Amino acid sequence: MQSEKFYYDNKIVRDFGIATVIWGIIGMTVGLLVAIQLYHPAANMGNQYTTYGRIRPLHTNAVIFAFVGNAIFMGVYYSLQRLLKARMFSDVLSKIHFWGWQLIIVSAVITLPLGLTTSHEYAELEWPIDIAITLIWVVFGINMFGTIIKRRERHLYVAIWFYIATFVTIAVLHIVNSFELPVSSFKSYYLYAGVQDALVQWWYGHNAVAFFLTTPYLGMMYYFLPKMANRPIYSYKLSILHFWALIFIYIWAGPHHLLYTTLPGWAQSLGVAFSIMLIAPSWGGMINGLLTLRGAWDKVRDDVVLKFMVVALTAYGMATFEGPLLSLKQVNAIGHFTDWIIAHVHVGALGWNGFLTFAVLYWLIPRIYKTELYSKKLASFHFWIGTLGILFYAVPLYWAGFTQGLMLKEFTAEGMLKYPSFLETTLRIIPMYVMRSIGGAMYLLGVIVMAYNLLRTMLQGKLVSNEAAEAMPLAPLQPEHQQEKWHRKLERRPIQLMILSLIVILIGSVIEIMPTLTISSNIPTIASVKPYTPLELQGRDIYIREGCVNCHSQTVRPFRSETERYGEYSKAGEFVYDHPFLWGSKRTGPDLAREGGKYGHSWQYNHLMDPRLMSPGSIMPAYDWLIDQKLDTTTTAAKINAMRSLGVPYAAGYDKIANHDLSKQANEIAEGLSKDKIKVASDKEIIAIIAYLQRLGTDIKASKTVNNN
Amino acid sequence: MFKQFISDINGDQVYLIISLGVFMVFFIVVTFLLIRLKANYTSYMSDLPLADENYNPENKQL
Repeated sequence: MQSEKFYYDNKIVRDFGIATVIWGIIGMTVGLLVAIQLYHPAANMGNQYTTYGRIRPLHTNAVIFAFVGNAIFMGVYYSLQRLLKARMFSDVLSKIHFWGWQLIIVSAVITLPLGLTTSHEYAELEWPIDIAITLIWVVFGINMFGTIIKRRERHLYVAIWFYIATFVTIAVLHIVNSFELPVSSFKSYYLYAGVQDALVQWWYGHNAVAFFLTTPYLGMMYYFLPKMANRPIYSYKLSILHFWALIFIYIWAGPHHLLYTTLPGWAQSLGVAFSIMLIAPSWGGMINGLLTLRGAWDKVRDDVVLKFMVVALTAYGMATFEGPLLSLKQVNAIGHFTDWIIAHVHVGALGWNGFLTFAVLYWLIPRIYKTELYSKKLASFHFWIGTLGILFYAVPLYWAGFTQGLMLKEFTAEGMLKYPSFLETTLRIIPMYVMRSIGGAMYLLGVIVMAYNLLRTMLQGKLVSNEAAEAMPLAPLQPEHQQEKWHRKLERRPIQLMILSLIVILIGSVIEIMPTLTISSNIPTIASVKPYTPLELQGRDIYIREGCVNCHSQTVRPFRSETERYGEYSKAGEFVYDHPFLWGSKRTGPDLAREGGKYGHSWQYNHLMDPRLMSPGSIMPAYDWLIDQKLDTTTTAAKINAMRSLGVPYAAGYDKIANHDLSKQANEIAEGLSKDKIKVASDKEIIAIIAYLQRLGTDIKASKTVNNN
Repeated sequence: MFKQFISDINGDQVYLIISLGVFMVFFIVVTFLLIRLKANYTSYMSDLPLADENYNPENKQL
């Protein structure tokens, strides 16, 4: 049989590589800006478009989907072609994938600062962009499976299994977590409400970490680490176990983000149990990676690429040990809502994703440009400043998390909260926030140095856009192969492998999600809980637009330290009209679930205008634009109709008179404010958000729980 | 006070036990399968990433 000559497409790899570096710098710079705003609120430059609540999602989206996303495609497009001995299926699809993805990122850069957000973490982009993501993801899938089908290597290496699992699971997660009802061209409400919405979101949120930040990177680890160390993976069997166990178990762990909330207890327990089990495959993978370097540790001393890989794998091991630890209820009680979680996430993001990306870039760019790296010294500098940056980032935040978590739970001998003012605990950790931003700046500096180093490398070499290769075409299967074990047969069949992966991830998803969606006794209703008034609904949407949920939770856990501080613990029935749920995941400020009626209208007004006026030392930004901007009431009818379609019991025809009720309530609030000598027109946005804040948690007061059963 | 958040569907223990059972069966099947894999197959598979550049006579190993 004649061997075939073909060419690897290196240009698309290079393009994704450049996009990785550029978006990495942008995403991390925005991260640094939000980090500084946490101790210097004026760093928002007095501008609503650069204020924490709006650009914190921009930071997370940019580093996850732009930096890591482009890095995944760079790694997949490089390794897939070589493992399959075939050029990518279609150059046109590769280009559509590349430019489509960049366009999606640009649309995020535009819409998020404008406040166009769904409020679901890491899924903030509004419905038209959700559709675009789906289409581009399908393009990626066709290109990947097309390449697999026209391959010249019969066997699919384990890295490709990880890529296939990534493709299919992200597709399922994205689609299910994007069930939204459009209200306008850039506004939508989620189909699910309250507890159900929370479960779907954190099933998605947790598995976005699993199948976007982990499985594709493990695939890259299994391909690039043997190349870098020039020796095969330590144990191929372990890699198979790693694969099946990881994709099976990860999908169950989402509820550990919702411990002590109103999510049914059995779902919480499942989340915890499977989180603990996750240590086994995660550490199996880490050990498999580290032991691949057996006999090559002398190379680690000299080779900066391997240094990056060792730290990446170590960070993976630390983060995947800490995750299960944090999912233990006793630990979670202290750690949840604090900076401990932020530290945990960044050990994974900066160490595992960041360092593995840098290793691949330093290894790959000189190869496709047929040259040496411009400066090993600069790369070494990057390694050390990056490693120190991670430490300077994580250690202060761990300290901040423990300090605040414990302070919030401390009681005096008399049984009173020792720190009744939330602000007091915040002020205690400000120095940690300063140190964290220094760590982040060090890490960013390293990335900028890398960009320069790679640019010089590119300039001194020449891109081999089409790299020549030769391989034998696939021969028909010999009769002895017909007798093979089923797993070996499966591993040669990509579509069947994808379907089996899909079944494996659906088992956990269905068992956890379906009962919560279908069995009504999971969500006991409360008779006194009523839908929002039109003004409150508009206020709620401003709350979403400004990203208040990034810093304020709306769920009181059943701890005495919380019921003393905030009021009665939250019930599932309180959230039945909350499309979306707004429980939050971090308390940079206090919980707001019982905010209604706690202060007068004038306090809320003055606090929003200048938080430091009412709470000296507060790190909350001023929202003075809410006083100037007029509330858009043209959307009220559409919002009421959308809510009614989702099952919120507004009377038929209420949409036509909703604005009348809205004006009436707004006038009452404006009159109330004028009694306190605050003159503000009743049609301003601040009136709506005051109405919403004053409503929060008031339904539950003096009410009785009525179980559906 | 805790009654509310642990109020569950009937037979929640069954859910936990079924899940654990599914997990155990899954793990045992995968382990059994791995034990039966042949050594020449695993060594062929683990050499795949290192093999690709051998197929390209025009490329020099850097």
